Amino acid sequence: MIDINRKEALRYLGYRQSIEGDLTEINNALNHCIEVLQKTAVPRHIVKRFPVSIENHTITIGDMVIHSRNLENNLKGCHAVYLFAATIGIEVDRLIKRTELTKMSDAVIYQAAGAAMIEAYCDEVNEELNQEAHKNNEFLKPRFSPGYGDLALDHQKDFMRILKMDKIGISLLESLLMVPSKSVTAIIGITHHAQPRHTKDCANCPAQCEFRRVE
Amino acid sequence: MGFKERLTKEWLFWDGGTGSVLQSWGLQAGELPETWNIIHPEKIIELNKGYLEAGCDIINTNTFGANRLKYPDNLEEIVTKAVEHAKKARELTGRTDALISLDLGPTGKLLEPLGDLSFDDAVDIYAEVIEYGTKAGADVILIETMQDSYELKAAVLAAKEHSDLPVCATVVFDEKGKMLTGGTPESVVALLEGLHIDALGINCSLGPTQIKPFVERMIKVSSTPIIVTPNAGLPQTDDEGHTYYDMNADEFASEMKEIASLNVHVLGGCCGTTPEYLSKTIELVKDLPIEPPVKKNMSVVTSFSQAVEIGPKPVIIGERINPTGKKKFKQALRDGDINYILSEGLKQEDAGAHILDVNVGLPEIDEPKMMVEVMKKLQSVIALPLQIDTSDPIALEAALRHYNGKAMINSVNGKQESMDAVFPLVQKYGGVVVGLALDEDGIPDNAADRIRIAKKIYKEAGKYGIEPKDIVIDGLAMTISSDPTSAIATLETLRIIRDELHGHSILGVSNISFGLPQRPIVNANFFTMAMQSGLSCAIINPSSEAMMKSYRAYLALSGLDTNFTEYISAYGNSAPAPVKSEAVDMSLYESIKRGMSENAGKATQKQLETKEGLEIINEELIPALDEVGKGFEKGTIFLPQLLMSAEAAKAAFAVIKDSMAGKPREMKGKIIIATVKGDIHDIGKNIVKVMLENYGYDVIDLGKDVPPEQIVDTAIQEDVKLVGLSALMTTTVVSMEDTIKLLKEKKPDTLTVVGGAVMTQEYADRIGADCYAKDAMETVRFADKVFGGE
Repeated sequence: MIDINRKEALRYLGYRQSIEGDLTEINNALNHCIEVLQKTAVPRHIVKRFPVSIENHTITIGDMVIHSRNLENNLKGCHAVYLFAATIGIEVDRLIKRTELTKMSDAVIYQAAGAAMIEAYCDEVNEELNQEAHKNNEFLKPRFSPGYGDLALDHQKDFMRILKMDKIGISLLESLLMVPSKSVTAIIGITHHAQPRHTKDCANCPAQCEFRRVE
Repeated sequence: MGFKERLTKEWLFWDGGTGSVLQSWGLQAGELPETWNIIHPEKIIELNKGYLEAGCDIINTNTFGANRLKYPDNLEEIVTKAVEHAKKARELTGRTDALISLDLGPTGKLLEPLGDLSFDDAVDIYAEVIEYGTKAGADVILIETMQDSYELKAAVLAAKEHSDLPVCATVVFDEKGKMLTGGTPESVVALLEGLHIDALGINCSLGPTQIKPFVERMIKVSSTPIIVTPNAGLPQTDDEGHTYYDMNADEFASEMKEIASLNVHVLGGCCGTTPEYLSKTIELVKDLPIEPPVKKNMSVVTSFSQAVEIGPKPVIIGERINPTGKKKFKQALRDGDINYILSEGLKQEDAGAHILDVNVGLPEIDEPKMMVEVMKKLQSVIALPLQIDTSDPIALEAALRHYNGKAMINSVNGKQESMDAVFPLVQKYGGVVVGLALDEDGIPDNAADRIRIAKKIYKEAGKYGIEPKDIVIDGLAMTISSDPTSAIATLETLRIIRDELHGHSILGVSNISFGLPQRPIVNANFFTMAMQSGLSCAIINPSSEAMMKSYRAYLALSGLDTNFTEYISAYGNSAPAPVKSEAVDMSLYESIKRGMSENAGKATQKQLETKEGLEIINEELIPALDEVGKGFEKGTIFLPQLLMSAEAAKAAFAVIKDSMAGKPREMKGKIIIATVKGDIHDIGKNIVKVMLENYGYDVIDLGKDVPPEQIVDTAIQEDVKLVGLSALMTTTVVSMEDTIKLLKEKKPDTLTVVGGAVMTQEYADRIGADCYAKDAMETVRFADKVFGGE
């Protein structure tokens, strides 16, 4: 079972310090939705390791050629990367669709809790990789996804091809968004240099989105 | 001898994993394997040769991923070369007996409604490869590693329509025995047998040990030969990060020998199985006895994920998706308000239906188009199998073709004309068809004549290869108010169908009581009598308490409800109600503010004892909603609270509306909302809808991916003053702009309000929108301005 971070789910729902009033009903609804999500979700992931080279601002991973200053920054000092894809499955999308018809307040909670769930699942897998890396005296950088900063969403196509993501049920829409909607792709840098504990804040992300988190 | 002649007469061995061999020869991650047909022909020939020398009878062409999405420029060359290499390998090894199989895998795209590849395009994509492969000289078609039943159906139809070669299909199950989109061994077998596949089975997935239970489940329901081609065990990663599989060739072969004894017919391998795995398997299996599949007599209808068997116990078919006699439903059909129809479906599923009847016939609508649309949308939210209910053969064919699963069909009858129209479609697409026991002479008033017609239907169906198990005879419930003996004739018909024809039956149960008072009394009792007489399927309203009581009591009394699970879960003292945060007697104002729907309903009920409905609306309901709305705007209330309050208000409105005896609530005005063309993300639009409805607007929801023309046409037809447009992505804001332009041109007095994740005031101004709303409340405020004349 994936441990869904309730605080995160509330944050995705737009919860802020300024929110007033009794949250009992919301919490009841959130509990219920998390319970249903746990039964509905089918988490799956794929990871593959590749050497990485960075020359003249050109990052090469397998046959994927990337130009991204933000990623370059993230991968500084890395000799290899994991390419990573994860999803909690298409049934969650169906659940959200059907709840939109019956109870909109639950539907938005499923959206938020689903987002928190895929994040938590990625963290879990990430932690396993981390443990594995430590055995070989390697360390992992925070994961970096297409669409973050200046890393083009177009690379989703490379992920699709290299990881064969369709095997775990992830496919791309024409818009390059993924289905199931609660899916994540990422590059995780591997380095020999010890890393500070990664905080989960957004200090290094150039995007100024409304969910920006600075701890 | 060809594939079909050899199948089940002798063991046939398919080849092993292509990808794993090519990787060991230098294929890079992300490199498309089919390009090797052109750049390394000698290696592909070597690959094919290896398996032929190992003793395999069928070799796959290197075309697993060959389709126009991946090879837009040279698909024909890729496919033709692949077949030529296989032929060359056959020639070099002297294995003239060996067969070449055109190998087809998934497209890599997810089909509609959850993805964006249309079913028709998927058929086209497969058809193209199939034509090239057939022309180049393949002997058999293998559709493999399929993870989605809808894509599987598209591929099989393409093969049937574009080639005369035998067609086989194998699918992938996870450790729980499910395909990625939910299909099970039972649902896959029913779907594929309906499409008359030559052999079916499992490939890839897991190792032979893990898939054995799923092979057994397939054998249990399949009358078709079975193919099993698993991986070389489970995948592992070595220190270098390379994938390998945990079984060696000897272990694999000995597990395959076990599987061979289960009554399967074709064996082979998938990922990680090199020629050595196959040669060892062949060595162990080739001298074992082989038996043809055992014929099963099961009537099964399916959706993408569920299989419902008709026969073991009565099946409930929900009748509510049908405009007959329903004003609101007719209006929803005319307005294209599919969500209303979907809600009807969800209600019936919750009430206990096993299958949903779908009838969208209205003289003024395009039935084939509407039928397909409703069916697809239903299948995006509901997993129950559907019964396609139409008298229009064009609508029936469109529906059967686009349905995801093996459908139930309502109906054919004993008239020659009807049978000539319907049976060819059932033959082509599969399905369980309802046969009405009436013919050119009308409805017989006695059982003997109805049975005569039933036999005629069975016989005629037989000419198309449709077996009696796929026919359900409607014994015809006719009202007793016009003929007191009619129930007796119907019940006797059911009895004979069960006892003498050993067939299945169906009734539209409530027809029995037309014209009588207190119809539920007669319906419920007749229902029990019908089940006792052998009724297999009941078309009823599952929300009718009386009918479901009869049903559950019958199951309990007939030993069909193990441990009374169903009975107790419906009527036992089920789990205590969830703890509520507040006492029940809370004011309406407070209930809405706190988003407590149940309390809001009760409080309204109480207030109605002393107050008028309108008074309640104006004095409590609207002010409470307004307070919440303002809190949301100020940032002291967040989205789920806003929506829960809206839902509580809706519950209160419903109570007031009932009290006004159907007198409709006065609406402030009509608003169209839609997610624009190219965009399939509609949660934001749906939130806006909930809020607008609560504030008293009549919302015409056109759904998502809506073309500009449709929005403008509806605005003109319904004379709508305000249109709300939503777009999630920058790429679809263009469609928003197109819609606004067209609207300004054709109906300049209509205003527009736009919103969505990427939308900004600046964007909105640039595309000529009249208002940018950053959230649902702002849309409500703008609407109030437009319609309030402020």
